Amino acid sequence: MSQKTITCNADGMVGENIGFDRIRRITGYLVGTIDRFNDAKRAEEHDRVKHSLDQAQ
Amino acid sequence: MLTTVPYVASIQKRNGTVAQFDPEKIKNAIQNANNTIEDEPMTAATVEYLTEKVCRDLGSGIPTVEQIQDKVEEQLIAMGFAKTAKAYILYRAEHAKIRQAETDLMDIYKELTFQDSKDADFMRENANIDADTAMGTMLKYGSEGSKYFVNNYVLPRDIAEAHLRGDIHIHDLDFYMLTETCCQIDLLKLFKKGFCTGHGFLREPNDIRSYAALACIAIQANQNEMHGGQSVPNFDFSMAPGVARTFVKAYYQALVQYLTIKGVDKNEAEAVANDAQASIALEVALGNGDKFVEELVSFVGAKLDETLTREAHAYAMSTAWDITDNATYQAMEALVHNLNTMNSRAGAQVPFSSINYGTDTSPEGRMVMRNLLLATDKGLGDGETPIFPVQIFKVKEGINYNPEDPNYDLFKLAIKTSAKRLFPNFSFLDAPYNLQYYKQGDYNTEVAYMGCRTRVMGNVHDKSREVTCGRGNLSFTSINLPRIALESKGDIDKFFSILDSRMDLVARQLLHRYSVQCTKHVYNYPFLMGQGVWIDSDKLGNNDSIAEVLKHGTLSVGFIGLAETLVALIGKHHGESEEGQELGLRIISYMRSAMDKKSAETGMNFTLLATPAEGLSGRFVRMDKKKFGNIPGVTERDYYTNSFHVPVYYGINAFDKIRREAPYHALSNAGHISYVELDGDACKNLDAFESVIRCMKEAGIGYGSINHPVDRDPICGFTGVIDDVCPRCGRREGEAVSIERLNELRKKYPNMPHIDCCR
Repeated sequence: MSQKTITCNADGMVGENIGFDRIRRITGYLVGTIDRFNDAKRAEEHDRVKHSLDQAQ
Repeated sequence: MLTTVPYVASIQKRNGTVAQFDPEKIKNAIQNANNTIEDEPMTAATVEYLTEKVCRDLGSGIPTVEQIQDKVEEQLIAMGFAKTAKAYILYRAEHAKIRQAETDLMDIYKELTFQDSKDADFMRENANIDADTAMGTMLKYGSEGSKYFVNNYVLPRDIAEAHLRGDIHIHDLDFYMLTETCCQIDLLKLFKKGFCTGHGFLREPNDIRSYAALACIAIQANQNEMHGGQSVPNFDFSMAPGVARTFVKAYYQALVQYLTIKGVDKNEAEAVANDAQASIALEVALGNGDKFVEELVSFVGAKLDETLTREAHAYAMSTAWDITDNATYQAMEALVHNLNTMNSRAGAQVPFSSINYGTDTSPEGRMVMRNLLLATDKGLGDGETPIFPVQIFKVKEGINYNPEDPNYDLFKLAIKTSAKRLFPNFSFLDAPYNLQYYKQGDYNTEVAYMGCRTRVMGNVHDKSREVTCGRGNLSFTSINLPRIALESKGDIDKFFSILDSRMDLVARQLLHRYSVQCTKHVYNYPFLMGQGVWIDSDKLGNNDSIAEVLKHGTLSVGFIGLAETLVALIGKHHGESEEGQELGLRIISYMRSAMDKKSAETGMNFTLLATPAEGLSGRFVRMDKKKFGNIPGVTERDYYTNSFHVPVYYGINAFDKIRREAPYHALSNAGHISYVELDGDACKNLDAFESVIRCMKEAGIGYGSINHPVDRDPICGFTGVIDDVCPRCGRREGEAVSIERLNELRKKYPNMPHIDCCR
């Protein structure tokens, strides 16, 4: 999760080099950003595919 | 046995403990070293003689293992057994090498000190601990030092080897000598007489806001004494009395207010209110206004006009409802904020907190849950998604599952909240293995989960105490299942025979750890044991041993990578083949019955865990890749699939996935969780969300949750799905946007994050 105060620079621009927070669940817990995942969990998160809700299968 | 009378009675082992001296061990070591040398025969008498020489040489103090080994070397050389001496020295060196197989401790310290966590994987073992901070690093020094000590000096050699080699993984090894994993805290019991955190006494709370604040403090205090998470099994029931107390206060204040406005003298109005509160046996509450007003009218009698009394009551009821509801919202908001910001473990992390709720049908309990869900929906200060507490909504037929159930509205609200905030997760009390303990109206019989998935319910130690509160896991160790499959090269019988020996090894290790835990006393856990949080600890004195009460806890054998195991054995995992599912269930059933057998033999609660495995997900596969090479579907990825899950990369329908995984929930009695990954913005499809939860319930899942993308732009505060471009402010990741544009947006979205502007 972004923890720094957000400031705007002298040109009146905000957000340079600030990424998006992407909240994910690992081992039952939520984690505020993927940056703190270990390498294996990062690879696993990357591989996750969505599950279809199509009943007829 | 040797006839030699030893000259010392005790020796000091590597872990510092003093043990009885056994000359037999010296004799065996000499014999074993000599056995490897063909041309230096040694008679039994010579071995005896050498052993006696060593014993004599030890003097009168308490020698260390190292000192004894030095003496053995000296004697072998002195007596001319040069080759045997060499073999013995080699054996010692080999032994020492295994013990130090992990990188030298000082190298680890160097890495901890001079690297950033982004470059060092081992500093990101746990995503919720910040190892870049001073206290985070301090914690890591302690943790790495402790692991080194335990591996080299504490664990029986074969167990240390199995752990270092990656056959098994002893979780929270750094805490091996210290404490237990987790506990379900009964706040209701704790609050009853007030409690002491070790840093001051807190009296029984009197308002929902203090109830919520003390809940956080209790979680924090317990977290500092255990190595796992902390959970409240009955959050709704625990907070309800706080709501009731706030309501009573607000009711009488409003009553006086109304009477005063209507011209009754203030002192007189207060006297009536005080007398009524003191004398009427029935306490006014959210749900008993109609009944209470009759008591009030008859109590007040002729002192006030009856119509006025009734009007005052109606006003007081509705005003107190509003005030209490508002106070409850604030209390829940503060709780969520606190649990996301308060420090534990010297500031390196927030407590790993979980709260279970859903079944309290009282108006007070319902008010707690509704406001908690609303506060969660709103998010933290800048609208961020709360990471803690893990919230677990207990789904139960007759309580909240069907439209006619009293808490059905809360089930719906839980779904709506989870679709936006990922919490609550859902647990299912109707799953047969949970239902068997359930007694309506007794929260202690409702299975509660730790956020990570841990579940403690059955109790072979005391069948009459198959309850939730005050219990938890003592420790757990996981088995590398794919490795066993690779070692048995497709031979299923061989697989089961290796599995047997690994489970025996782990059971022995868990009992070894338990014996360490048994050496502790109540004073080692001033909160957990000292305040009676752990079951039956309230019957112990400060200097008493905790050995007996620990028996209510569980010793769990975990597993990882069932999918890879099946691919290694038969070429297909359980998500893609019936044969895979059949073998998968056979393996996990086998493990479960081994646990049941161990429980019956030992009277200890051996249970089977679908291991959470965060740090472990990469460790085993890295080692197996080195050992067995890159095997498609087995070691080719950077992680082993979690527990019994269908692999994350495998395309499968959500409902099929649930039905595949459900039978494993019934088998893994130490805990389990299933996930479904939904695409897109779940808030826009609540019916689909609910259909997945209902499918979980019907399939017999114990604990489940739905993952869906929750992204947030910290600049404009948008929360939802962000692909490449933020739908609100239009920036890409890392790009800047003008303050003018943000100010324009703020007119439409007043809750956007605060921005410091230097212009």
